[in-house]
Amino acid sequence: MIGPALVVANISKRFGGVTAISDVSFEVPRGCLTALIGPNGAGKTTLFNLVTNLFPWTSGDILFNGASLKGSSSRQIAALGLTRTFQTARVFPRMTVLENVLVGGHRHVRSHPIAQALWLPSARRDEMQLQARAEEFLELAGLTRYCHEPATDLPMGSQKMLEVVRALMTTPQLLLLDEPAAGLNDSETAELAALLCAIRDCGVTIMLVEHNMSLVMSIADQVIVLDVGCIIASGNPKEIRRDSRVIAAYMGNDGGQTCA
Amino acid sequence: MAATIIGGLLQGGVFALLALGFALVYRVTGVVNLCQGAFCVLGALSMYTLEQTLGWPAALAATGAVVLTTLFGALLGLATFVPALNRLPNSSMLMLTAGLLTLVEGLVLIFWGSQPFNLPAFSGEAPVQIFGLRVATQAFWIVGVVAVVVCLLWYLLTRTMIGKQLRACAENPMAARLMGINVTLMSTLSFSLAAMIGAIGGIVLAPITSLQFDSGTFFTISGFIAVAIGGMGSFVGAIVGGLILGVAEQFAAGYISSLFSNGIAVILLLVALMFRPNGLFGVGGSRRVDVRDEQQVHLGIVRIQNGPAVTLSTAIVLLLAVLPWTGWFDSILPSLIITGILFIGVLGLDVLMGFAGQVSLGQGAFMAIGGYAAAILAVQYDWPPLMGVLAGIVLSLACSMGLSLVTMRLRGIYLALATLAFAMLVDSLITGWMDLTGGPSGLVGIPALSVGGYDFATPFSMYYLVLALGVVLVLLLTGLMRSSFGRALKAIRADQLAAAALDINIGRYKMAAFAISAVFASISGSLFAFNFHYLAPDMVGIPRSLEMVTMLVVGGEGMLVGPLVGVALLTLLPEVFQPLALYKTLAEGILLVMTFQYCPAGLAGLTIKQLHDVFEWFAARKHISPRITQEDLR
Ligand SMILES: Nc1ncnc2c1ncn2[C@@H]1O[C@H](COP(=O)(O)OP(=O)(O)OP(=O)(O)O)[C@@H](O)[C@H]1O
Ligand SMILES: [Mg+2]
Repeated sequence: MIGPALVVANISKRFGGVTAISDVSFEVPRGCLTALIGPNGAGKTTLFNLVTNLFPWTSGDILFNGASLKGSSSRQIAALGLTRTFQTARVFPRMTVLENVLVGGHRHVRSHPIAQALWLPSARRDEMQLQARAEEFLELAGLTRYCHEPATDLPMGSQKMLEVVRALMTTPQLLLLDEPAAGLNDSETAELAALLCAIRDCGVTIMLVEHNMSLVMSIADQVIVLDVGCIIASGNPKEIRRDSRVIAAYMGNDGGQTCA
Repeated sequence: MAATIIGGLLQGGVFALLALGFALVYRVTGVVNLCQGAFCVLGALSMYTLEQTLGWPAALAATGAVVLTTLFGALLGLATFVPALNRLPNSSMLMLTAGLLTLVEGLVLIFWGSQPFNLPAFSGEAPVQIFGLRVATQAFWIVGVVAVVVCLLWYLLTRTMIGKQLRACAENPMAARLMGINVTLMSTLSFSLAAMIGAIGGIVLAPITSLQFDSGTFFTISGFIAVAIGGMGSFVGAIVGGLILGVAEQFAAGYISSLFSNGIAVILLLVALMFRPNGLFGVGGSRRVDVRDEQQVHLGIVRIQNGPAVTLSTAIVLLLAVLPWTGWFDSILPSLIITGILFIGVLGLDVLMGFAGQVSLGQGAFMAIGGYAAAILAVQYDWPPLMGVLAGIVLSLACSMGLSLVTMRLRGIYLALATLAFAMLVDSLITGWMDLTGGPSGLVGIPALSVGGYDFATPFSMYYLVLALGVVLVLLLTGLMRSSFGRALKAIRADQLAAAALDINIGRYKMAAFAISAVFASISGSLFAFNFHYLAPDMVGIPRSLEMVTMLVVGGEGMLVGPLVGVALLTLLPEVFQPLALYKTLAEGILLVMTFQYCPAGLAGLTIKQLHDVFEWFAARKHISPRITQEDLR
């Protein structure tokens, strides 16, 4: 397929009086790792929520693979191959780490529930394939030793990692990751960076929100900077590092004025 | 016509009071308090004792009864309801209040027995003539008292400091707490106030309606329907909803049949849910959502490992298979059969509640459908029993599909409440449709179940049939629950938003879980009918639905052994301790409430956990770390 994976065109979102996103447009090129950065409250999570249609946007349009996402439910969007993770890890409690990952592979299960109830060969085959893939991904993320632990017993950082793995199990075309490195220590962050690069090299487009600048600068192909709901800069990491508006926004100058 | 309207408004006034109680507790705590109706009965019967037995003057007796009920409500709330608020997800709170309803009914049964009570009218029985209509004097009392209570409540909520605090809790409990408002106190207060309002309603209504220990369920459902029509949490809506409901019921009773008046209420509710999910005066969406927010409750995972599970269940099945041959258990063989039959129904409930996290308070209704369909077809139309069972299954499936379609789009605990209302509809249809169902006295002459010429006529054969069926169904569910289907259900229970983001079709899975639970209940109902050769409404009524919830929760939900433990406990114990049968209802209520409080994983869960700890301990002593292998997954 050609053309950008995701096109966001003139999107706005108001919460009552607060304009969380105002007239934002950008493209996420296929096969690249795009980072979305910005100070707290800039609207990064809101943007993700708009893309996955957790709430309807006020104006504009969002195209995934050239088709509008308007009016699709979050499940339909997931079915199109756009999977997201959440800022506060939402692993499933009362399930083990492995089970959590297996849930991610749910959409690839072809066997009918009746076949599953009877434990027919087709169901067993599905289950084995899923399990093999899950174990492979867990190994890649370094979570194998937690395999049979309840997911909520994991440290926060590992839970975030688990969420990435779970999202990966859906074999997405576009992966939206909301602060996956929050709560990870340095070595875990390095592992995550390696994992993300490996995913990208498999052809999965990634867009990630991240506060960890060194991570962003080392792995991103494109960086978009959001402040108070507007894009104030975008480009490759080198350009962003030199951009005076970005520095101003991060140093605490009033970002709102640059927006106008 | 005019008389019907007046009658309806009177009845509606009391419903409005009840609905106000609901709205109050809902606004402050976000919980639908199913115990509401029990306070009506408690208030009225306390007054009966004070006035008739102890000879107090009416005014004093009424005051005393209200004070007593309010105090009781406050204590009950403080001991059970309020402490659970912070720990339990919303749907468990709903079941907890159902447990409280059972508990109070059990208490009333012990103190007052099961006969109906009637209070004398406050100002004599002679009616007065107004515009040529004869109106009972009690009508004025009802109207007056309702008006006074409504005014006082309005004053309390809008003009006093306490009212401000109550409303602050309703808006945002966290912010209220930060502002120094004692949320615990306010929750207790709302619960006690609701008890007081309930007691007052019961007392003024008692002279024109007779009350007995289980009338509370009826009041709860009526009050709830009123508040759902009016709009959950709206006080004006509660009053309007109550009046509409009262008038509608009187019209149905007057012009169709008194037995169908409950049916009208439920139809009104379903129509309201379909077209105006927030009710006539709804205050927006509910504050809490319908997922059982497990995040608040850290339960861990209780699970037997594969090897021991197979050994244990094989042992249990073998034991059950040889039991009848020993001859020691002949006396309780019928109870064992009932245990098995109910187990099938509760197993279905477990799929819906334990795995998918949706609450059903109407499992008994699907038993009724399965039972009556099979029985009527066999008795009246000479259908072969197996065809009747199938017909029951199809009918149950259709009803469960319809109910889930109606409630699917709605947030909140509407599925739970719709199932409760549905149970009432089925109950009133069965009671009302005399020619077909035999009415309240039941359907007799149901033949034995016969399959391919073999009659399961003896308890012996029935026992093995139920055992075999139970084993097959458990095996099927084991397969289903350890596959992607079961995982999807668990994911939905845990976090709907995250599940949807992984391309899980939540609506479809909920519907499937509901369908499975309905089919299981239907099978169990059919077996009931063929086992007893007799079926009456109270065998499959709302108390049965609540009992099944208790069995599931006490046994342990989300595990397939949980239902077995719960059903066996609550069926066999009362059998063994016959003289204590009077305390059964109370015990069930207390058990349910206590389980939520102290043992949320249920008895089976607790046992497995303990055993597990013991094994761990042994393993540690022998310096052998527990082996984690591929098969230990489940
Ligand atoms: N559901 C909502 N209702 C009202 N306001 C909201 C809602 N969600 C977000 N906002 C507001 O929108 C703005 C952007 O919030 P958002 O969570 O998108 O920021 P963010 O960039 O993700 O910040 P952080 O780095 O802290 O995660 C904030 O001012 C926030 O208060
Ligand atoms: Mg954010």
